[in-house]
Amino acid sequence: MQVTERRIGQSIILDLMGELSYANRTTFKAAVERSKRAGCRHLILNMQGVRFLDSSAIGILALLAQSFPATQGMVSLLNPQSYVKEIITLANLHQILPVYASEQDALAESRLPTAG
Amino acid sequence: MAESAHRIVDEPLAGKVARPMPVILLVDDDEITRISMAGRLKRLGYRVIEAGDGVAGLAAIRAQRPDLVILDWMMPGLDGPSVCEAIRADRELRSSQVVLMTAHDQPEQIAEGLSRGADDFLSKAASKQEVLARVQASLRSSALVREIERTRDDLDRSHRLLSAKQAELESELQSAADFVRAQLPPPSMPTPGVSVQWAYQPSLALGGDLFQVSAWGTETLGLYILDASGHGVAAALRAVALMSFLREDNLAKAVGSFEPGAIITEANRRFPLTQDGEYFTLWVGRLHLPSRTLSYAAAGHCGAFLHSLQGASQWLSSASLPLGFDPTLIFDSATAHLQPQDRLYLLSDGIYEAPSPSGELWGRDRLQATLESHRTHTLAYSIGDTMTTARQWLGGDMFPDDVALLGVEVLDRSAPAKEKS
Repeated sequence: MQVTERRIGQSIILDLMGELSYANRTTFKAAVERSKRAGCRHLILNMQGVRFLDSSAIGILALLAQSFPATQGMVSLLNPQSYVKEIITLANLHQILPVYASEQDALAESRLPTAG
Repeated sequence: MAESAHRIVDEPLAGKVARPMPVILLVDDDEITRISMAGRLKRLGYRVIEAGDGVAGLAAIRAQRPDLVILDWMMPGLDGPSVCEAIRADRELRSSQVVLMTAHDQPEQIAEGLSRGADDFLSKAASKQEVLARVQASLRSSALVREIERTRDDLDRSHRLLSAKQAELESELQSAADFVRAQLPPPSMPTPGVSVQWAYQPSLALGGDLFQVSAWGTETLGLYILDASGHGVAAALRAVALMSFLREDNLAKAVGSFEPGAIITEANRRFPLTQDGEYFTLWVGRLHLPSRTLSYAAAGHCGAFLHSLQGASQWLSSASLPLGFDPTLIFDSATAHLQPQDRLYLLSDGIYEAPSPSGELWGRDRLQATLESHRTHTLAYSIGDTMTTARQWLGGDMFPDDVALLGVEVLDRSAPAKEKS
């Protein structure tokens, strides 16, 4: 899996390419940690280039949602495709991770004032 | 025989020996030549063993394992090339470094000597410099061969140790697998009026997909299927921990209810995501036998299919998060009503996600069609044939994920027996 990082304001977009699975979760987690340390307020995982998502990756995404408290920022998924979109729906990940269809919509959410 | 035994001529270099002195065996029946060559070698700093014929030479090689053997070609009895052949034919000696010594150095003779096992040639008329050069070159080869042999021996020892350790681990793994399998339903009716059949094939020795069906009281059947994310030992251990939670006696204490929604709500609280993001999906059902009412709840598990003979068949799942994704969630129960001869199948995703050789997944639609095609067959046939059909789609026997398939049939004692088995 390839991960490319883009910073836009206080948001960081991770463009993910390939398979997000147990085999490459170390790469993914390292990229997420870098983003956290960089102090981003909104971590956007661009899923458009992700072809496959296994059960292990679903757990990592859920863990990520739990480890990013609302007071520190938010994590969201961007534009998952076909099979990956189906898996996210079946696992109900959209209940704990917002899913956006476009980068503009995701970034617009970043600009909204946080609750409280 | 001029000399029946070899003798050792030591010429240590006093004060200069920092590492083991190379040992050279000199085999020559001509005593004058042998003494002369031994003297030259001693002066060059080597430890020399002498033997007066081929037989004594072979005995010395076995006893002393010299770093280099210098053999005279012409000897009574076993000549030099014959000794070479004997060395190469002996499993213990074949890696010895051998130089043939001859007064003649015709190309044909050299070719014959090499073909019969010599590594190099040395003329009896060779200069001191040539003797030194050839001996040093041969000893370098000998040292390399010895190093390779030591490495090979070390590898052999390591391999034997690893094999023993592997056998021990496999034995322990098999014990663990037997234990996990023993947690599955016994091959009998859990309660009168209900038939149960199942198939189970973990992708590794130990699986993280487990299921159970057992009587909860006199009128109620409890059943569940769980899927621990990941594979292998860790997933199996976590799965057994959840199974312990789901035991009837524990549910009475820990949950105080046998309502599936309440059970999953409590399990969701007690089994959070692990630090590595591992989790469970779970489906729990409770079948009240007199009314044939099934209440059920699911946490991210989509593997329950009700095959109804008279009503509409349906997948008994609802959109829900796996266990531990949100510890505050409350899970609700849903209900379904079963008719006599209806079948409830609980299954892991490993069966409908079996890939064909081209990568296409078998899918829930094909699985459902297969189960429904068994309408006139026994439950045992349905479970067996569904597994066979999945393997045919897979094009092999080894599923990439754990496969579990459990069938429960509400019996109709007034109905005739099934047509086929």
